Amino acid sequence: MPNAFDQNNPPFDRLTPQELETLRRSVDIGYYRPNETIIAQGVPAEALYVVIKGIVEERTGDELIALLGPKDTFDSHALVQGQSGHAFVAREETLCYVLPRPVALALIQSNPRFATFFYLELSRKLDAMARDEEDSRVGTLMRARISDMILSPAAFIDAQDTIETAGHRMSEIDTNALFVRDGDRVGIITGMNLSKAVVLKRLPITAPVGPISHFDVISLAPGDFIYSALILMTKTNKRRVAIHDGTAYIGILEDIQLLGFLAGNAQLVAGRIDRATGLADLSPAAKEIGEQVRLLRRQGVKIDVIAEIVSDLNHRLFAKVFDLVAPPPIRTNGCLIVMGSEGRGEQTVRTDQDNGLILAEPVDAAVLETFGRDFAAALESFGFEPCPGNVMVRNPAWSQTVDGYDAAFRRWVAIPDLNVHMDVAILYDAVAVAGNAALLAQTKAALLEAVRGRSAFMVHFAKATEAFAMPIGFFNNLLTPDGKGDAVDLKKGGIFAIVHGVRSLAMERGLTETNTAQRIQRLVEAGTFTRDFGRELTQSLYFLMTLRLDAQLAVAGASSALVRPADLSSMQRDLLRDAFHVVKQFREIVRRHFNLGAF
Amino acid sequence: MVPRALKRLFHQATIGDQSYRFMFKPGPPGEVVSFDCETTGLDVRHNDIITIAAIRIRGDRILTSERFEAVVRPEARIGVDAIKIHRLREMDVAAGNRIQKVIPEFLHFIGGRPLVGYYVDFDVRMIDKELIGLKGIELPNKLIEVSKLYYERKYGDAPPGTTIDLSFASILRDLDLPVLDQHDAFNDALMTAMMYVQLRDMRQRGVRIPRQRQTERPQATIA
Repeated sequence: MPNAFDQNNPPFDRLTPQELETLRRSVDIGYYRPNETIIAQGVPAEALYVVIKGIVEERTGDELIALLGPKDTFDSHALVQGQSGHAFVAREETLCYVLPRPVALALIQSNPRFATFFYLELSRKLDAMARDEEDSRVGTLMRARISDMILSPAAFIDAQDTIETAGHRMSEIDTNALFVRDGDRVGIITGMNLSKAVVLKRLPITAPVGPISHFDVISLAPGDFIYSALILMTKTNKRRVAIHDGTAYIGILEDIQLLGFLAGNAQLVAGRIDRATGLADLSPAAKEIGEQVRLLRRQGVKIDVIAEIVSDLNHRLFAKVFDLVAPPPIRTNGCLIVMGSEGRGEQTVRTDQDNGLILAEPVDAAVLETFGRDFAAALESFGFEPCPGNVMVRNPAWSQTVDGYDAAFRRWVAIPDLNVHMDVAILYDAVAVAGNAALLAQTKAALLEAVRGRSAFMVHFAKATEAFAMPIGFFNNLLTPDGKGDAVDLKKGGIFAIVHGVRSLAMERGLTETNTAQRIQRLVEAGTFTRDFGRELTQSLYFLMTLRLDAQLAVAGASSALVRPADLSSMQRDLLRDAFHVVKQFREIVRRHFNLGAF
Repeated sequence: MVPRALKRLFHQATIGDQSYRFMFKPGPPGEVVSFDCETTGLDVRHNDIITIAAIRIRGDRILTSERFEAVVRPEARIGVDAIKIHRLREMDVAAGNRIQKVIPEFLHFIGGRPLVGYYVDFDVRMIDKELIGLKGIELPNKLIEVSKLYYERKYGDAPPGTTIDLSFASILRDLDLPVLDQHDAFNDALMTAMMYVQLRDMRQRGVRIPRQRQTERPQATIA
């Protein structure tokens, strides 16, 4: 077969050379004119198809399910099940590789990794993909560059300075190594050098550091790979590498940092937050939280774990800020809550602030106002943007007594207004991060009490699940030449529908969990849907969140949820199709459950 | 120059080896063969074939699973310039068969099917040069020139003075076909086959290729 067959295109990248040769010998190329049916609905699939050029529509009846483009494979379901649930029709002049069914089935039997692609359940496919990612993780780690790391600062002392000066300097800037300038030479001195000089050599602390410094400094540039540093350290048996950007030394890379980079250092960040004695101490820790996300993702940590770690760090940070800026009446009398994705423990890349305060009894308005302003300003200085909807402690509506909230809820359920629904939604997702957590429990109980039995309210609330159209034709952007537009909004297209649909079902049942996966678990136990569907739904949510996170990490600073299918691998596109299919089924369940069709 | 139709009649009458009479019978209905040769140079008289690749096309199906590929052990040395183009060195072709063995195999593969090619005359003349010495005939097959099909679809109604570009790369681009490694006989034959099935369909449906493309489409690549 075509030498040109792309053996790097999943799932064919899993085939052995002999299996590829089998493939080459048996594959043909089919040409299909516009509107020609390649696989008819309900008809056995005689072959597995891989698009070479053109666009193929996946249809069921008159409904367009998806558009497939070059490198996409279809139809794995039809191949395994013997017949196709969907029809595949050429939208334009299309060429496909045609792999006869017996050959494809033989490959599936002989090669388990190849077979994973043809699993019918999305969750099994995702597990298989996660294993593959794990295999390549060492590779991605090793492609990281020194500039991706946090370095010890480049602080200089003079060779004539004393051991005492050096010791104090290290302590001041919280580092364990300093550059030593001796005329034209530059060396490094470490805390261990100082200790050994004093303890073992019995040098006075007034002795100059020059003689005990090392001037055989090894150095690398910020653009060098991390693995270069690892190799250099191993070769030279040094624990520190000086980083020189071509004009000056900009920092020191220590082995401990390298280890931290490889293993992640969320625990160090947590420790730094706990030890902080002022807002100034928290600022670097807050910055590191953001960096943890990238590190954890690079290490292949699963999205739910990343979100949990990041939420935990953020909550510690908020709690610490609360301790530092809240005056006594608020600290003893109030409960700080975070809401929305932060409350559900599903936040990864930092978004805007969604926080509030619940008070046991009224507090002086001026005191509240000062606290709200200080708290928001501190978070803003750490990179948490103010909430555009003003869901923040500085807004009196989100800084009330339990009774105040209760009164608000009773007003809210009477007005079917989208903003009110969003307020209910984010408060229902709230968790307490500091102060008296019982206040939140009371408030939530009041909320559930206010909505209980209000079926008209629940229906309107649930209706937002359908607020955004499914991005069915999301492969359309293969049609747009410049790759502009038609990117898929994962949040609107999938994540929101899952989160809000689950939230609606959970709230109706009066569940107290805030995390979407936990709510799904409880709904499964309650029999709202099957265990299998619950797993598919959770995995779909995680898959969409992972894709979104990758997109956000790729574009530094972006909080967008846009993903261009053309940027994804054909494997990811295939999974994305499956995930949207699960979302579609779920929307159908919510629709039936609340009888949304009647509204 | 004697027209091919006349030559065909002459060769059919005078063929020495009767076992090659099948060449003069029509091939299976709906089948054609796309083929390409890589040669030591562009001079038919002095250069030789190095590789031949051919792919049967049945209806709209390109039968890559039933392909013909042969490497020829050359009688003469390969020119340095030719090596640069097709990247086959002498050591690469040393394992090949003599042209006397390759040509009959090729004839049996193509039979009486029409031949599809890009500037197919050149490849046919290279084959004929060998064939006339071996069997006393030239290829009698009907020839289909893809650049001609392309010309009709794109420039058939062009006003005088239109700049005409029939390059292989332009055809690939206009038809949005994948660009495979070129100057490999199999890949060239395959790309030619893809051009053929699409151009034939466009002719049947009366679809033209716009001369001024509003938007440049990104090339699909599968290489």
